[in-house]
Amino acid sequence: MIQKFFNWLKQPLGLIASGIVFLALVSAVVYGIWRTQQAPEQPIQFPHKTHVNFGIQCLYCHPGAARGPAAGIPSQAKCWACHNQIVKTRDSALLAPLKDAVLSGKSLEWVPVAIVPDFVHFNHRPHIAAGKNCEECHGDMTKVTVAQNPQDMTMGWCLNCHIKNAGDDQEKLVKLTDCGTCHY
Amino acid sequence: MIRPDEVKMSVEETGKWGMTINQDVCTGCQACVAACAMENNISFVGEEDSGYGRSMHWIRIERFWEGEYPDVRMTPQQPMMCQQCGHATCEPVCPAFATVHSQAEQLNLQVYNRCVGTRYCANNCPYQVRAFNWRDYQRPEPLSNQLNPDVTVRRMGVMEKCTFCIQRIHRAQDTAKSEGREVMDGEFTTACAQACPADAIVFGRVDKPETLVAQITNNGRGTKHLAELGTLPHVTYFKEG
Repeated sequence: MIQKFFNWLKQPLGLIASGIVFLALVSAVVYGIWRTQQAPEQPIQFPHKTHVNFGIQCLYCHPGAARGPAAGIPSQAKCWACHNQIVKTRDSALLAPLKDAVLSGKSLEWVPVAIVPDFVHFNHRPHIAAGKNCEECHGDMTKVTVAQNPQDMTMGWCLNCHIKNAGDDQEKLVKLTDCGTCHY
Repeated sequence: MIRPDEVKMSVEETGKWGMTINQDVCTGCQACVAACAMENNISFVGEEDSGYGRSMHWIRIERFWEGEYPDVRMTPQQPMMCQQCGHATCEPVCPAFATVHSQAEQLNLQVYNRCVGTRYCANNCPYQVRAFNWRDYQRPEPLSNQLNPDVTVRRMGVMEKCTFCIQRIHRAQDTAKSEGREVMDGEFTTACAQACPADAIVFGRVDKPETLVAQITNNGRGTKHLAELGTLPHVTYFKEG
């Protein structure tokens, strides 16, 4: 039975069939990998580039980055403070979810893009205090619409930067490469 | 460039963070056990698994009986948690380097994402203070709201133990650094020490002689459990006096 099947595969028709199956599998894998690299779907196609090009600072909407672990995602009240004065908000289809959310009192459910696993305890504050700019990790927001994650946020990526920044300062190096600094 | 393992610290004996426990005032009320479980997202294993000896507490109250019946006397209550040994017996046996010594904080770390669950460390711990996640223990809906976001929620097959509330240490250090100062004595404490109604547990920097915990530790009356094994424990016990 199996012998018969292999003999059939060696015929031209069988070769074409196995070729099609092979191509289907490869494209499924490629599509799967491509899907993991896409930014998640957001309730609003928030154009970061527009806002940044208006000159709005990152820390205006994400002020937690300077104060504590989480940068924070702004509430719709913060969006509305500017947007209720902008005529376009009234009838733009793209801004309709914001208007609906504010008028109905429901929250916009933004999806975090740059995330680390539960066993990693990242704190924004020391990174901002050390003089890191947002775009060094999060990419150039003047070019993207919905936020994307330009980095694979792996431990090697963290440690390379930590070791580079510690330089010859032994105490700093010990602290910055200690497992317990991030994992607890 | 200097690798971290080449940096020689002389503080392994004294340690950095330490704890003292006054057994005379400990009433065995278990407030520390409850506070620890709340702070550190410790699972409730239930009656059946507890019967198999799988209960997961990072701190427990030990007590022993002395003498023959009817002259039985109970020894003072003895809270027992990870002693954060300077030379820890759990560390060299881990095949995955999941339990490593923190050079920066002089604590024994448990890196959950590295742990593969051989349980060798628990077998080698003379204090028997390590707990193993035998299952993914469920948290019914209202209980999941009390999880501490600063502490990893451990999964099945991972070893865990007292961390001296390292998340509080980091938070205090971060606050102090943002205000441009050192961490002050008594600025923060561990969950068990905070909950103790008798103040039997004192926590702080033992390497700074002016702190309360260092003064109690160095008053010469304390004992360190199983110090004869050379583990250099950083918890000091006091009783009878």
